Amino acid sequence: MKNYIWFAIVVLSLSSCKKWLDVSPVSQVSEEELFKSAEGFEEALTGIYTNCTNMNLYGFELTGGLPEVLAQNYSISNDEFLHYQQAVNYNYKDRFYIAKKDTAWSGLYNAIANCNLLLKNLETHGEILTTDRQTLIKGEALALRGFLHFDLLRLFAPSFKSNPGAKAIPYITEFSNKVTPISTVTEVLTNIVNDLQQAKELMRQFDPIVTAGYKVGYNTDNPSTEEASSSLFLQNRRHRLNYYAICGELARVNLYFDKRTDALTNAMEVINSNKFPWTDAADFINSDPKVKDRIAYKELLFAWYVPNMSDTLNTRFNLGLKSLIIEDNACQALYEVASSGGDRRFQQWFKLVSGASSFNWDELQKYQRDPDKNRHYMVLPAIRLSEMYYIASECTYESDPAKALSLLQTVRSVRGIGKTLTVANKDELLQELVKEARKEFFGDGQIFYMYKRLNRPFASLLGSSIPASDKVFVMPLPDNEIEFGNR
Amino acid sequence: MIFTNLCQAVRISQRAKSKTILVMKLTAVFILAGFLQVSAAGFSQTVTVTKENIPLQKLFREIKKQTGYVFFYNMRLLQKTHPVNIDVKNKSLREVLDLVFEAQPVTYSIVNKTIVVNDRAPLPPPVVTQVDTVPAVDIRGGVIDEVSGTPVVGANVVIKGSKLGTVTDGSGNFVIRAKPGTTLVISFVGFENVNVTAKVGSLSVKLKPSKDPMADVVITGYQQIKKESFTGNAVTVTGDELKRINPTNMLQSIQAYDPSFQVAQSNLLGSNPNSLPRVNLRGSASLPTGGGDVLTRNNLTGNVNLPTFILDGYEVSIEKVYDMDVNRVQSITLLKDAAATAVYGSRAANGVLVITTKAPQEGKLQLSYSYDGTMSAPDLSDYHVLNATDKLEYERLAGLYKAVGDRTANDQEELYYKKKSNVLAGVNTYWLSQPVRTAFGHKNSLYLEGGNATIRYGIDLRYQTQPGVMKGSGRDRYGLGSVLSYAPNKKFIFRNSLTVTQVTAKESPYGSFASYVAMNPYYPKTDSNGHVLQVVDSWLIDTRLQDSSQYKTQNVLNPMYNGTLSNFDQTKYIEFIDAFSADWNMTNALRLRGIASVTKRKYTTDRFLSPLSNEFYNYETSRLKERGSYFYNTVDENIFDGSLTLNYNKQLGDHFLNLATGVNVQTNSNDSKSIMAIGFSNDRFTNIAFANSYALNSSPDANYTLQRLFGSFMSLNYSYRNKYMADLSARLDGSSKFGNDNKTAPFWSFGIGWNVHKEDFLMNSNISTLRLRASTGLTGQVNFEPYQSKTTYDYYTSNWYSTGIGASVITYGNENLKWQKTDNYDVGMDLGLFRDKLYFSARYYQKLTHGLLADIILPPSTGFNSYKENLGDMKNTGVEINLKATAFKNRDWTVNFTANFSRNDNKIVRISNALKAYNDKVDDEQGKNGLQGTPLLRYREGQSINTIYAVHSLGIDPENGKEIFVKKDGTQTYDWDVKDIMPVGDNTPFALGYFGPNVSYKRFLLNVLFYTRFGGKEYNQTLVDRIENADPRFNVDSRVLSDRWKKPGDHALYKDISLTDKTFVSDRFIQKDNVVELQSVYLSYDFEKRLYSKLSMRNLRVSFTMNDIWRTSSMKTERGIDYPFARSFTFSIQTSL
Repeated sequence: MKNYIWFAIVVLSLSSCKKWLDVSPVSQVSEEELFKSAEGFEEALTGIYTNCTNMNLYGFELTGGLPEVLAQNYSISNDEFLHYQQAVNYNYKDRFYIAKKDTAWSGLYNAIANCNLLLKNLETHGEILTTDRQTLIKGEALALRGFLHFDLLRLFAPSFKSNPGAKAIPYITEFSNKVTPISTVTEVLTNIVNDLQQAKELMRQFDPIVTAGYKVGYNTDNPSTEEASSSLFLQNRRHRLNYYAICGELARVNLYFDKRTDALTNAMEVINSNKFPWTDAADFINSDPKVKDRIAYKELLFAWYVPNMSDTLNTRFNLGLKSLIIEDNACQALYEVASSGGDRRFQQWFKLVSGASSFNWDELQKYQRDPDKNRHYMVLPAIRLSEMYYIASECTYESDPAKALSLLQTVRSVRGIGKTLTVANKDELLQELVKEARKEFFGDGQIFYMYKRLNRPFASLLGSSIPASDKVFVMPLPDNEIEFGNR
Repeated sequence: MIFTNLCQAVRISQRAKSKTILVMKLTAVFILAGFLQVSAAGFSQTVTVTKENIPLQKLFREIKKQTGYVFFYNMRLLQKTHPVNIDVKNKSLREVLDLVFEAQPVTYSIVNKTIVVNDRAPLPPPVVTQVDTVPAVDIRGGVIDEVSGTPVVGANVVIKGSKLGTVTDGSGNFVIRAKPGTTLVISFVGFENVNVTAKVGSLSVKLKPSKDPMADVVITGYQQIKKESFTGNAVTVTGDELKRINPTNMLQSIQAYDPSFQVAQSNLLGSNPNSLPRVNLRGSASLPTGGGDVLTRNNLTGNVNLPTFILDGYEVSIEKVYDMDVNRVQSITLLKDAAATAVYGSRAANGVLVITTKAPQEGKLQLSYSYDGTMSAPDLSDYHVLNATDKLEYERLAGLYKAVGDRTANDQEELYYKKKSNVLAGVNTYWLSQPVRTAFGHKNSLYLEGGNATIRYGIDLRYQTQPGVMKGSGRDRYGLGSVLSYAPNKKFIFRNSLTVTQVTAKESPYGSFASYVAMNPYYPKTDSNGHVLQVVDSWLIDTRLQDSSQYKTQNVLNPMYNGTLSNFDQTKYIEFIDAFSADWNMTNALRLRGIASVTKRKYTTDRFLSPLSNEFYNYETSRLKERGSYFYNTVDENIFDGSLTLNYNKQLGDHFLNLATGVNVQTNSNDSKSIMAIGFSNDRFTNIAFANSYALNSSPDANYTLQRLFGSFMSLNYSYRNKYMADLSARLDGSSKFGNDNKTAPFWSFGIGWNVHKEDFLMNSNISTLRLRASTGLTGQVNFEPYQSKTTYDYYTSNWYSTGIGASVITYGNENLKWQKTDNYDVGMDLGLFRDKLYFSARYYQKLTHGLLADIILPPSTGFNSYKENLGDMKNTGVEINLKATAFKNRDWTVNFTANFSRNDNKIVRISNALKAYNDKVDDEQGKNGLQGTPLLRYREGQSINTIYAVHSLGIDPENGKEIFVKKDGTQTYDWDVKDIMPVGDNTPFALGYFGPNVSYKRFLLNVLFYTRFGGKEYNQTLVDRIENADPRFNVDSRVLSDRWKKPGDHALYKDISLTDKTFVSDRFIQKDNVVELQSVYLSYDFEKRLYSKLSMRNLRVSFTMNDIWRTSSMKTERGIDYPFARSFTFSIQTSL
């Protein structure tokens, strides 16, 4: 009998031990622990941005890597040591290419999983936050989810123009290990627009960037309103998906979705806000590297903050034939140096290097930094003001060709091209837009998507034409995704 | 001088009580001296007296006058004497005195020049019988060992019911003054007590050696069960037996008593004293769940299959066991099947090793001391490298002196002849001997114990150095421990033990042994001034890359150079363990026991690389500031283990019950922090304070884990008339490592047994033991990382975003994570014939592990590549055989023979998709640099984890020296393809085990132990790495020159000598793996009592042990790649005072 009682005590005590057995990690943080404080939510959001800036995602690969290579912006030599030799020829069976695109896929979806886990916890524990903070975080998380899915769609699915009903990618809205079915291009775009639209509504009232007091400028300006907030979390809005960045992204997505009205509205909202001043030519061409602004910092609606990336970018762009270079002749042709000289981008972004046997090439200087002091933070551009002008221009042509042309001309003149353009029809405008965008976005990772959106053949550096086809434009899904997701 | 005499008397007596009496007598003598008349004079040594009826007092004066001897006597004593008639001429003093005292009631003794007169009882009396009123007589007798027939020296002879007694002398004889008819109790350590009735005449007493009390019980850690009635599978070995096999490595010794306890020999780490052994019991029950790295069969982690170690009731790490002093071990018990281990529930699947330390003995202060001096010498006999002449010849044949890059054929030839002239000048450095040494290690253990029935204490001290055979490496251990036990009455016993251990582990600054094997013998190691050179050669290498970096210069750095610098790499830990236990004997049958132990261990690692080290030699000039590095790491470990057990032991008629039930709580935290600093200015300033900065892009690293376990258990052992028995145990365990939905899990076991020899029909037959046993049960395992069930975030501490620090999800937690469960089946038989002179036992087992914890691959769109899930089954089946035979025995000789063998078959029954994906990754890796020639670990259902995968090969084509492969479809090809890889061999031996004789002759004991393994296959990596894939720029195995194909028609084992392309894995290198090793030779001698008692000792034993002295193998391979193996010789002395 005694033993029975004893045993009963044991069993009873065991049930109360469940809590004791619930141990939380200390050097890492468990989900429950993290979302017990307001800071935790902020850190989880910030973490998504940091996550995205690793060099396999926006820190390099999706900015200056694969999309630029596929858009034929580099002269890849045999010595090139980053293994793009096969990718540049669209050999999608090459293991280096496969590794790069698979890493991008899993990295972007990992960031999306982070968004979803944050959103889930906002639903369940968000009440510990103030309303404005809660709304802001939710808005940004939704916007990020849309932003990241949009890039996945642009990489791994056919363009809307070529096949709107094609199977595209899964649109993940829940944190789970369950497989989400694949949606069509149209469905995905609808979801993206929904998320971004919702984010825009949420952000409108609470984003400090909307206030008149928030002035875009260099962080070295004195005073810098971008760093005026007493909360670190609310500083440097342009390093995160702020209200205007969401507008810009909406303009981008809607144009891809062929919803020009919406695209135009959003692009014009940014332009008309007059928040983002053009870069002074004097700053752009300044010979003192410490006060020079090569990347047009003030024009960036959204940029990734990458203070540690200088060395990485240096080895990718400035190690001669080993790195991603462009043959000088090709570069001159790209920037139409002969016909419209004075393009400051060509002058400031490229450094001529003379190689042996009269082979000269240019090395990209866009992301070069002074080792000690700089005008602005080390960032990689995600959305530029100029893109808004291009979108507006493209969407206005049918209704007002003159305005369309002037919008394009605005950007050209800011960049030092005095020559005025004339176009006979929409197609000519598009041609000019593509040429202009290629100059503007060199090393930004955007031009590939433009080719794809328009589903137009495009020119390689050697002058030959690359036909528009899904073989060129669509990256295959990772093997693991196909095998373990039953795609 | 009187004092000296008395002391000897004390020593002769074994018992503290008689010592007290003697001390009292001594005091009495001194007091008496005050009443004594003292006179002094005299010169002669002989006496001449003729007197009639002379009183003794007068006679004494006469003797004093003649001899100068002084008499001490008490007047009262002399009054009892009567006068004597004496007539002696020139007789010696002694003769005269004998004559005088012959008929007196008093006697005398001579001490120096003093004659002491005292009562008839001699002064240093072995017998004290004054209190008796009935006349006592001298009882004489002899004590012998019943088994060997030898006299037992120093046995206690005590009159029952009194405290009077004596001990046997050097010939085993005793004299005691006792009344005839009283009972004498004769006792001696290691023998059962014997009662004899005192009678006049010579008694002959035979002592029966007592069985070790531990030998009859199985200690499961929670209860002690009679071995005879236990149905589980347990092996018990005493500390002394362990010491006999290997005096410095206890784990190695356990293996010899049960080969299913396998200590994996690491061919990479050799005899490095700092490499913790990898142990598994009855095969592997887990799969490695590492970071998905490709595993070669060498780095397969054995740690997931570690058994659980229990020391005096609480769990300890394998490192604790490795660093323990074997002298402190009373016994170890190896629990193997479910019936034995299920009481450990979630920790039981890989077996449990229960260690009991010695408890202090009651009695006067006793001091035990043991010394072990170990000499280890490197065993380089498996290395056969080329000498200088042959090496240069091989280089020529391999085409190293053809034109390369901007070096013309003439330049190259010039280089060749330069080296040739070196060789001819006699340069032939034996690099292998440079980093090694013959090392001498010492171990001193001291143990003090004593106390009475209420309070006993024990203190142990240890100092042990264990230098390794690589210069500068070693492991030093210092220990201090104390045990205090207090039993205020028969109901309670409290015991506390506190141990402090410090271990310092140093790695050799000379680096990997492999780098010496690779050095060319024609390189001089020093310059003409005797300074060690850093750069000894440089090669121009064609990388075959079609670009500007095609030709590059490769410097050959002297590995010895690092040894001349102040580099160090050492890990220290200091450990405190306090274990407290309280026993409450509530009734005779019921006992409650609580144990609480606290362990605190702190590790510090310091690793300094001088800026001058070879590692930094090739740094570009821009990185000079980054040369030199310092790694610092601390780990804080805190463990609490507590248990409360209720034991119930009761004999109810023919039924015997042994029940234990209780709870067990464990928490374990591990806090690790490390930093890496770089940039040192020179070799002298080695403190981390001199570092220039942190390592590039690094930040401090830290890791903290906490795990908790809670279990409640019940274990019942039942036997009926010692014939039929059953065991039943159950445990409910909760662990923090599991998901919220599965925090607890049940485990159980059931065993039955039948002692057939207790049945009437086997009584008085030659079958002395016949026992049949069977058991089954479910056990578990939790040896994996904590927090795997949790979704966790990690902070980007070294990479802040402009708007603050970020946190990101790193693991997808599986809330459903469960225990890994193992179904156990075990049947066995023990058979003893001719009073167990021939003893045979056999076991068959099957272990089916379900729900192997494995990575499950997710489609990456979920955001994760994998998560942990219980998926996968593995089966281990095996046989264990044990044989013991007493071959010969007489009075002086005993010859025993023991042999044990085990066999384990492993089979992967089901694996997860992740492991299938892993296999694909392995295929990919197999083609990569450095891994082409290594068979990689693969998992295939139906195969074993010991399976070797390679491409089938037909050997070398005599026509052209190329290898012919067989494709999967059977066709032949010269092209190796990863797709043709298939299982080609299994490393599982048919059996492995130990055998050897055990001979004792009088006081000598000889124990010889061989290890053998046969019937398995192994991939001979040496043939690939050191013959075919060997870089001809470095030294290679001598078979390169003799056995490689050189010209058409050669039937060679190895491909064309001039081919430098890589050789890929093929079954051409698979060889039979049959091994016989002489693992241990032990010889001891126990000194005779008269010798050691002269040295005031209670016993004295010297012994000599040799380990790993001889080996033969069917496979010729280099052993000890990064650290050579060693042969060791140990000389030990054991004594106690």
